[in-house]
Amino acid sequence: MPEVILEAVDLDYFYPDGTNALRNINLQVEKGEKLTILGSNGAGKSTLFMQFNGLYRPTTGCIQYQGHAISYKNKALIELRKKVGIVFQDPDSQLFSSSVYQDISFGPLNLGLSEHEVKARVKQALFDTETTDLEDKPTHLLSYGQKKRVSIAGVLAMEPEVIIFDEPTAGLDPRHAREFMQLLKKLSTEGKTIIISTHDVDLAYSWSDRLAIMSSGEIIAHGEPGELFLQPELIERADLALPWLIDMYCSLVEKGWLPPSTPLPKTKADLLMIIPLVPITIKPML
Amino acid sequence: MINIDSYAYSNNLKTIHPGEKSLFAVITMTVCLTSPTYITPLLVLALMAGVIILKAGIPSRIFIKLMLVPLSFLLISVLTIAFSVSTNPSGFWLAHTLYGLTIGIRYPDLITAAQLFLRSLGAVSCLYFLALTTPMTEIITVLHRLKVPAIITELMVLVYRFIFVLMETAITIHRAQASRSGYVSLKVSYRSLSRLFSSLLGKVFVKSQELYNAMAARCYTGEIKVLTKKYPVSLKNYFLITGLGLPLILFNMLWRR
Repeated sequence: MPEVILEAVDLDYFYPDGTNALRNINLQVEKGEKLTILGSNGAGKSTLFMQFNGLYRPTTGCIQYQGHAISYKNKALIELRKKVGIVFQDPDSQLFSSSVYQDISFGPLNLGLSEHEVKARVKQALFDTETTDLEDKPTHLLSYGQKKRVSIAGVLAMEPEVIIFDEPTAGLDPRHAREFMQLLKKLSTEGKTIIISTHDVDLAYSWSDRLAIMSSGEIIAHGEPGELFLQPELIERADLALPWLIDMYCSLVEKGWLPPSTPLPKTKADLLMIIPLVPITIKPML
Repeated sequence: MINIDSYAYSNNLKTIHPGEKSLFAVITMTVCLTSPTYITPLLVLALMAGVIILKAGIPSRIFIKLMLVPLSFLLISVLTIAFSVSTNPSGFWLAHTLYGLTIGIRYPDLITAAQLFLRSLGAVSCLYFLALTTPMTEIITVLHRLKVPAIITELMVLVYRFIFVLMETAITIHRAQASRSGYVSLKVSYRSLSRLFSSLLGKVFVKSQELYNAMAARCYTGEIKVLTKKYPVSLKNYFLITGLGLPLILFNMLWRR
């Protein structure tokens, strides 16, 4: 039984204006796993994330970190936030300083680390997010993608146990989105627990160990990506689409190119491997 | 403003210690403002123009344009000092009398006006030197070192950052309005502008809340602590500052006698 690091228990949340943003959320996050929260716009993904490091307080129910319900006292919150970091969707609301270097150093300095240690961490975070050549630039002269990478560096430098990314690839060009996924892989091999939210179904399918699908404030399903994506009615209910790999796989099974017992392909290479080689005979046109 | 700001990050003097640049600007500005002659401001102006254009590599066109900005204000205020109106026509150097009222220039006033004009221009050039060569974040760090209260320096950090966020938002809203004929007539323009400001205000509240959340998520406890990159301290620069500042100070003192 894997260790549960973060858990939402019977969580309900109402915004001050009365909107019921989260309904009866029960979700376990296992240590070291790659979890994706899938859901359309306004499904409540960001609101749930704000619960995970104590920025919002549930109306009923609770958040547990390593089996203990989190406390909302200042000191306890700071301890929690050392362990659970969030990279927000809009980098403009995360970067508070005009200096890239200063902004990245903010988090680690708040952890009470020595100046020497903070410097080393900032340097590593700059390197990991490929922003080393931006360190002397002011944040307002950066492009959206660059700002996004700097805001990621700002959280990486704190070296949290659990890192939550809210829509990390939205607004990144394909190259940087790919590099970001590489970075996630690296963090994952280092043993970090990673939670991302997205509506990119391809990414959710090939990257994650586990999926949770949200729709209007509820988690309507969670489990392995392969299982969930084979339930079209579920995908439709959540306003999502099928990953192209699954779509292709289903069509191939339907047309008889693949036996129904074939395992689901996780990557394009997997799919190409399982398609049987059939010699093509070209008939001369008469 | 944006222009000055981008030069601050890309000029040839950006690697010089911000403290040294600030010291240089402050010393020359003080000398310029306290000078009893108009030769010192002229010297300061020439020195700053030289440093800004030749050393920092700011195009001379930009420098001249920037110097023209305060010129109009200056001319107006200086003219009111130079010209006087009086019923007594004596003592005027250049004057015209109409119906018993004399409008004209008295010689000492003219000297005062000219001095004031040059002094202000010289001081402005010193400030431009600092603004064009030193990023705002560095200046804030210098202020922090000088034990300026944290509330002021922290506010400066946030204000400086959010000027740009706010401006970007305003430009985006304006563009969206203009593309839907929001500014075709005066009446429509007024309405669009008022909408722009009200939606900007709403956005500011949302943004500030988001910013607070994001900072709290990074363990913010009420004090913004950041690391600043260290710049090498150059003894040579201190000698240079003294070498340029001392003659100006001496010149001022000798002239006073």
